Amino acid sequence: MLQYDILIVGAGGAGLYAALETSKRKGLKVAVISKVFPTRSHTGAAQGGVNAALGNVAPDSPEKHAYDTVKGSDFLADQDAVELMCEMAPKIIREMEHMGLPFSRLENGKIAQRPFGGASFPRTCYSADKTGHVMLQTLYEQCIKNNVTFLNEWFALSLVHNGERIAGVVALDLRTGEIHGMRAKAVILATGGHARIYWKRTSNALGNTGDGPAMALRAGVPLKDMEFVQFHPTGLRRTGILVTEGARGEGGYLINKDGERFMKRYAPEKMELAPRDLVSRAIETEIMEGRGFKDSEGNEFVYLDLRHLGKKKILERLPQIRELAIDFEGVDPIEEPIPIRPTAHYSMGGIDTDIYGRTIIKGLYAAGECGCVSVHGANRLGGNSLLDIVVFGKLAGEDAANFVAENSFIPFDESEVRKEEEKIKALFDNDGKERLVDLRNELSDVMTYGAGIFREEKKMKEALEKVREIKERAKHIKVYDKDMTFNTNLQQTLEFLNMVEVAETIVLGALERKESRGAHSRTDYPKRDDENFLKHSIIERTPDGDLKISWKPVKITKFQPEERKY
Amino acid sequence: MESRKVIFRIKRFNPKKDERPYYKEYEIDVPKGMTILEALQYIKDNIDPTLAFRAFCRSAICGSCSVKINGYPKLACKTQVFNELDVYNTNILTIEPIDNMEVIRDLIVDWDSAIQKMEKMRPYLIPDPEVVPETLDEECKVYPHELKKFDKFTDCILCTTCYSACGIVRVDSNYGGPFPLARVYRFAVDPRDSLKKERAKIGFSFDMWNCVRCNKCADVCPKHIAPVDGIMKLRGLSIEIGLRNNPGARHVMAFYKSLQESGMLNEVLLPLRTKGIKGVLENLSIGIKMILKGKAHSPIMKPIKEHETLKEVMKRAMEVE
Repeated sequence: MLQYDILIVGAGGAGLYAALETSKRKGLKVAVISKVFPTRSHTGAAQGGVNAALGNVAPDSPEKHAYDTVKGSDFLADQDAVELMCEMAPKIIREMEHMGLPFSRLENGKIAQRPFGGASFPRTCYSADKTGHVMLQTLYEQCIKNNVTFLNEWFALSLVHNGERIAGVVALDLRTGEIHGMRAKAVILATGGHARIYWKRTSNALGNTGDGPAMALRAGVPLKDMEFVQFHPTGLRRTGILVTEGARGEGGYLINKDGERFMKRYAPEKMELAPRDLVSRAIETEIMEGRGFKDSEGNEFVYLDLRHLGKKKILERLPQIRELAIDFEGVDPIEEPIPIRPTAHYSMGGIDTDIYGRTIIKGLYAAGECGCVSVHGANRLGGNSLLDIVVFGKLAGEDAANFVAENSFIPFDESEVRKEEEKIKALFDNDGKERLVDLRNELSDVMTYGAGIFREEKKMKEALEKVREIKERAKHIKVYDKDMTFNTNLQQTLEFLNMVEVAETIVLGALERKESRGAHSRTDYPKRDDENFLKHSIIERTPDGDLKISWKPVKITKFQPEERKY
Repeated sequence: MESRKVIFRIKRFNPKKDERPYYKEYEIDVPKGMTILEALQYIKDNIDPTLAFRAFCRSAICGSCSVKINGYPKLACKTQVFNELDVYNTNILTIEPIDNMEVIRDLIVDWDSAIQKMEKMRPYLIPDPEVVPETLDEECKVYPHELKKFDKFTDCILCTTCYSACGIVRVDSNYGGPFPLARVYRFAVDPRDSLKKERAKIGFSFDMWNCVRCNKCADVCPKHIAPVDGIMKLRGLSIEIGLRNNPGARHVMAFYKSLQESGMLNEVLLPLRTKGIKGVLENLSIGIKMILKGKAHSPIMKPIKEHETLKEVMKRAMEVE
């Protein structure tokens, strides 16, 4: 059996930062496993930037950053965690800058900053529109420097623990098809988000299937605030691929069928720079009320107009966006407006952790989008996710390194490996009455319709039933590819099974939260209800397989809840 | 909506099972707007679940899905099917794995060898203590014109497309390859880096002078990086730091000298200046043939009319670099 002091699952920003942190400790045996090659991780797709109160453009402070974040979260974020993140932000940005990260610069040589939705200052550090990409590459480069061990194209299947302490994971080596027990004193889950559940309408990479939360759920580890799924306002009409908020930060307009800048109705002061939940709802409302456009495929959309920015600015600040618009929509933003609609984007909810990424199982950590600290509460501000992953990746790495210094291995029950082998064998032997592609599309429709931008009780009840029905029908999906070398048919099936499991928690959370807050917008309960719902939802699977929901208070330090106005 | 019937001719191979690669054809209806990657996934979902390919971000930023489409390496995710049909004026598209790496299965290749080569070339910043502040209370100053020197090269997504198209990678196993060498250059001109001059030596030890400037890496790069430009500039750095006693550098110097002398390329002296007497002997037979055909000129060349202007232009160009 493979054996490590610390095993990190996932090699995006959180996983790599955790790896870097642990690689500073001498004598630790650490490995990072990833479904993909590290630099393919979805962190690389983040375009816009990363927030830190550097004050390089306008006077700023971590406290103001914290207030904007808490307000943006609709007061559901834990304020101790937010304060910690905002306090660490300037230092961690400089740390990455010292590692060689090529931030865009001001004429005076300092890191440039631009305005982003929901922030009161130009606070977002960026590297043109490739911020996540260069961050991922820089962290990977430093991992090479520090001789971090990578096991690429390995797929984690399950967590092994004894109810109190983590023992390791069971994982599938995709190249060979072999299933391995991997023993570790500590495991850090950094598997990313799960917005692929909205398969046909999402900005996410193909692999953002909620593997971490699904594994946690199966292992009895609670998930937090799962009902909060952020729809990014500007996804490309057909593919859902993202047009960065930087495009609005640079001055882009949103335009409806009547040629009107409709944001004046929803956020007269902030206009296009209002927070994401608000802008997404505004676009969706325009479309519902007949002021959107419709194409021949039936996609409804509005326009993001950048033409007035001019060719020079578009080429300099938004080159990737221009290329995406040309490649995927056949539209050159220098000459034409870009057709866009909201797209499922970010998972605010995730595995329940404290500020060090600790879960209820000792030695098991979660960081980044798969975890929920929570710093984003009911709605994440642009530029805060790249910050979240590095800050809490680092903290989880540090804490895990301390933990393994004081703790030894616990026994790893090898029957857990055989259990996974049998599960996979069963997938080959299923009757094939249901097809993966059909169920995946159905799940996408059920979730978009029942637990999308606008929600209401009746539709959600139907959605919950349908998700459970899809889960039952999924027992008939057959893996036809029998060859174990890079069996992507098997991989996609396992990923789908994870998505269904996580989908159920989203709908259940949404059904039980009878209020509107942040990204969770209920037409039957349009008001925020602090009296009853200023609290985190916690969902866990009981030993008999049912989901159980409970609640946990929000940590409030400095900022008393107030109405959110923009 | 417009759709076309397209035959995808896909190269299949499972080294553990198949004796040799073979092609399998799939005919599907492709709607306008569909990418090659979407078509591959459609085939996998609806016709043949055993088809193996890599894909992840589907928006040209992760570098997973490079394949050969009608012989030309591209990212499947950002390639429109209709465009390809129009370019090749066909309804058949041949999809194959990229070259210069072993096939693991079907369209999936083993890029470990390429990456391992890069890893040996120290592709990371080694901070210069004179530039990078000791504490995290300060940031380094990097001016926009300094960033501009290496910014483009940080766009690389490690898709290995350039590596697969490189002829030198195929014949010289020690050659670093386009993307790794371009990354070496990226750090060589980062003001925060302490290795700086050493970077050119790394390029040197990975045979950067063997690049023949065919420009294929520039043609195929989905991020329009032109790794060859980085390699040329790295060569320039190596000459600057005095790594001149090698055929590549001497060749460049011979060009330079000849232009300085007369404004024209003195091809007669070129072999002598590049490789010494050995060079003359190697080129003797071709030289004699050239003389007999009246193609050779005298080794003593009169400067061209605009010689002084040319020298001034060369001087200014060096200053700009």
